[in-house]
Amino acid sequence: MNVSTKWLSTYVDLSGITPQQLAERLTLAGLEVEGLESIAHGTNLVIGEVVTCEPMPDSDHLSVTTVNTGSEVLSIVCGAPNVAAGQRVIVAQNGSVLPQITIKKTSIKGHESNGMICSLLELGVDPKSLSESQKSGIEVLGTDAPLGGDPLAYLGLDDTILDVKLTPNRSDCNALWSLALEVGALLSRPVYLPKAQSYPEKASSLMVGSETPKCPVFIGKTIGKVTVGPSPLWLKRALNAVGIKSINNVVDISNYVMIETGQPLHFYDASKLAKPEIIVKDHLKGIVKTLDESEIHLHHEDIVITCDGHSIGLAGIMGGDDSKIDESTTSIVIEAAQFSPAQIRHTSRRVNLMTEASLRFQKGLDPMAAAKAVERSTQLLVELAHATELERTVMFGQPDSSPKTVSVTPEHVRTLLGTPVDTETILDIFTRLHFDPVIKGDRIVCTIPSYRLDISVAQDLIEEVGRFVGYGDLQGTLPVMPMTVGGYDARQTMRNRVRSLAVGYGMHEVITYTLVHANKTIQGVNPIPDPDSLISPLSDERQYIRNSLLPSVLESVAYNQAHKQTDFQLFEISSLSNTKTNEERLVLIQAGKQTLSRWQHQERAYDFYSLKGLVEGILEELGFSSQRLSWIPVNDHPFFHPTQSVKLVLDRTELGILGKQHPLIAKAMGMDPVYMAELSLEPLLKAKATKIKYTLINKAPVVVRDLALVVDRSVSASQLEKTIAEAAKGVLLGIEIFDVYTGDRIEAGKQSVALTLRLQGESTLTDAEIAQTLKAVTEALERKHNASLRG
Amino acid sequence: MEHIQHDVLAALSAAQTKAELDDIHNRYLSKKGIVNALMTQMKDLPPEEKPAFGAKVNALKKTLEAAYDEAVERVAQAEILNKLASESIDVTLPSTKPDVGTLHPLTIVQQAIERYFIGMGYLVKEGPEVERDFYNFERANIPQDHPARDMQDTFYINTEWLLRTHTTAIQTRMLEDYAGATPVKVICPGKVYRKDDDDATHSHQFTQMEGLVVGHNISMADLKGTLEGLAKAMFGESRVIRFRPSYFQFTEPSVEVDVSCHICNGKGCSTCKGTGWIEILGAGMVHPNVLSMAGFDAEKVSGFAFGLGVERVAMLKYGIDDIRHFYTNDLRFLSAFKRFE
Repeated sequence: MNVSTKWLSTYVDLSGITPQQLAERLTLAGLEVEGLESIAHGTNLVIGEVVTCEPMPDSDHLSVTTVNTGSEVLSIVCGAPNVAAGQRVIVAQNGSVLPQITIKKTSIKGHESNGMICSLLELGVDPKSLSESQKSGIEVLGTDAPLGGDPLAYLGLDDTILDVKLTPNRSDCNALWSLALEVGALLSRPVYLPKAQSYPEKASSLMVGSETPKCPVFIGKTIGKVTVGPSPLWLKRALNAVGIKSINNVVDISNYVMIETGQPLHFYDASKLAKPEIIVKDHLKGIVKTLDESEIHLHHEDIVITCDGHSIGLAGIMGGDDSKIDESTTSIVIEAAQFSPAQIRHTSRRVNLMTEASLRFQKGLDPMAAAKAVERSTQLLVELAHATELERTVMFGQPDSSPKTVSVTPEHVRTLLGTPVDTETILDIFTRLHFDPVIKGDRIVCTIPSYRLDISVAQDLIEEVGRFVGYGDLQGTLPVMPMTVGGYDARQTMRNRVRSLAVGYGMHEVITYTLVHANKTIQGVNPIPDPDSLISPLSDERQYIRNSLLPSVLESVAYNQAHKQTDFQLFEISSLSNTKTNEERLVLIQAGKQTLSRWQHQERAYDFYSLKGLVEGILEELGFSSQRLSWIPVNDHPFFHPTQSVKLVLDRTELGILGKQHPLIAKAMGMDPVYMAELSLEPLLKAKATKIKYTLINKAPVVVRDLALVVDRSVSASQLEKTIAEAAKGVLLGIEIFDVYTGDRIEAGKQSVALTLRLQGESTLTDAEIAQTLKAVTEALERKHNASLRG
Repeated sequence: MEHIQHDVLAALSAAQTKAELDDIHNRYLSKKGIVNALMTQMKDLPPEEKPAFGAKVNALKKTLEAAYDEAVERVAQAEILNKLASESIDVTLPSTKPDVGTLHPLTIVQQAIERYFIGMGYLVKEGPEVERDFYNFERANIPQDHPARDMQDTFYINTEWLLRTHTTAIQTRMLEDYAGATPVKVICPGKVYRKDDDDATHSHQFTQMEGLVVGHNISMADLKGTLEGLAKAMFGESRVIRFRPSYFQFTEPSVEVDVSCHICNGKGCSTCKGTGWIEILGAGMVHPNVLSMAGFDAEKVSGFAFGLGVERVAMLKYGIDDIRHFYTNDLRFLSAFKRFE
């Protein structure tokens, strides 16, 4: 909200306080000033009179003038078309600093110039508040302008505008009067608000009413014999300063009073109303034509102002075009009402009309503001528009004027703030705020002014003390309370262990968006069925809540590949959330190759086995040894390579899928295929991790024997291992596959698998025992897999 | 005999190779060598001189053999050193460095904040991202018809469910779980969602971290001390903070918390827009409505709560110019965050 410090100073004495100091004080009291802007800028300005003005002989637009500033006569070359002898003007003397230029003594075509005669545009005045002639020529002052005086003060442009960001609870300060009370309280200075005047009034012919609970109070007043005309300069300046254009005295008064009281007003041309009756309704259909000439299609919930059965305005947002004030208006009806803030917000958003009025109604108003605003506008209409025929005010409903009391103990103030503020200071603050504090027992009872809608519990009063005393001197302490044990829970611990292990493996963590396009909800690994979608998304791209992690991570993969970054490992660990479940998932990606040392030619393309190793490594760290894992080939997943992908099962629970991306899918996505895994971490939280248990080191010698087998290619390594493990049970320490061969030197359809068996007994194995074990192994291999020993 | 000792010792110390030493050994110390030959001279001596002569020869033999052994050792050492000298490498060639990945900068910052609070006895609590309107708004003291509840600002799934707009939703669940029992000391990190168009400073998805303490006589001073420690942990020991009164539904009194600028030390720079202060947190004393809705006796206990944007802290800490970088996951961006500092 824009606040004119000049306007504000008409209610509260701001002498001796710079706008910067005022801004600082307001900000530290919770009324944050986000900006400070002078209406006009310029140093060393003075009011002068043009004594002589002659066209420059060899120029088509320049004039040579002499200007009397009261203390001296300056010769100034001026380029403005409207300069003339006898005018009182704004002179920027040598050394004057203007927004665009610094004035120096200069010489133009041989003519000395000592200063500049200024337009308001050159002083940085907002062009929106200037007429065309003001923009193209110098500013001509009235003949009453004092020679040698300050032109900005004379024009009322010696004003600084504060941009105050009000928090939602302090919408009362949208009313300049309330802000003045706040400033007065902060500065401990008296506040002088205009006193209500009473005038002779006759009976009212106007009927007002409301048929909707969304308009509990409606005040109307007819004022006759007004003279519509231009506003006085002070009024124009005041409105211009806060960004409102001057229209005419009557319209300007409605805006001026809205700024003062916070109450939006609407003035109707009484002669344009079909009859002297205004009824507020909702549940209407049809069209309202508003002042800005747009046609609003009504919804049933909209609040509408009607007269004689016709809609004449969109309540709280904009009046109708048919009854608006114009130059010929002679009598008016003032409307000051209370409308449902929520409904005004809904309607104004729907029809995309944000007006000064609608913004104020949305934020909530002082219930007493409407009556104050009607009184104040009556007074100004009498003074500035010479209104002479006043009718009595009529009112539908009754504003809630019952005084609200809130109490607090000084001890509560001190303990909640944690600072030793004394009771007298507390009472002083409440007094300055017009809370009329009274001590009753150990409590301070405050009567809250109607405009302070935000004060309803003791803590609200404590906040008032806090912001007035300020938190600058508050000494920080740490809470004194029973000891607690801090830390992560099992899920967070697991997540952090996976993260640090993955980083140790050289992987980069990514975080991707939760919201995805519909087509991403069918592309994932084990997508959670029935993905949730948003009622009103920002775009189709972000309409669904993802039900698998992989598609989002693949977007990041594609992005990096498109930016010529082809060798990397990524992971994301994230929760998939929906209305039914929450599931923690882990995605792993390996793309391209790993380079250990280029100059030593140590590079290794990532493959299925490197990805499998990552998964095994991570699961082992979490306490799930490879013996508990099964790798079940998957050949029908649409996004995975049909012969290089597996389903991973821990004990009996499926964790997810890993393998090579289907090359056709990768191609369709414009990327190089990567190795990828998406695993659910939920089963890991439920499954029992294998406990670490130390067994004595067996000192019996280890016997190492190599076997080279020839078997069908369809026989898997894990099958061979399983058979060996069973046959050599009791003495088998480990199996290591050290070679797998298929090719010319072996029968088609067969493979050679070479393994090392490490055997160990409780005591030294005898040759006979070793031979017996190997015999059992080879026989079992032959029987189960038709494996033969390679010669 | 002295003559022999002198010659042999000189020859041994001059020898550089095993072959030279073997040669000396053959000449003097072998069975047929000169030293053994001296023994044969003994038989020609008178018997009374024999013992002395024999002892002298033995001493000579011992001395020379010791010197020989020493020379053998010396030459062997020299040969190893020669071999090693020939194995020289260029130590400035690139190393074979193990790949080390990176945590996402949001994780780095989040974990750093978590470390600070866990050290003070806080639990880390999370909640669902798809949340009930009730926990996100109602229990956070944001009533029906409040502007924050508009469709324009919140991603609704239906009238009951939404994507949580703040981690306050976790806090309201925590308060319910504690059911009036104190002390409550939790921090609540998580992803949150608002209906904002993505640009350099806005993101429809971002990360919040809120904290909540409820107990007896918890005060604004406790809040300030706690957040002062956080500012120092995140931005350096010399940081100070200031409170500016503000407004949040969840707290009363409420404050905005500014941290003295870590770039210019409060003198004023482009990061702090010349003010010397950077707004980082919103905080306050938990609103009595919030406490009583969750079953606490607001007359007897009080609490503080605070919240910050993890992206904002990361952007300030590392000088990141655009919030979208966090979700694009460009490797050139990710690789920069090798550690917490």
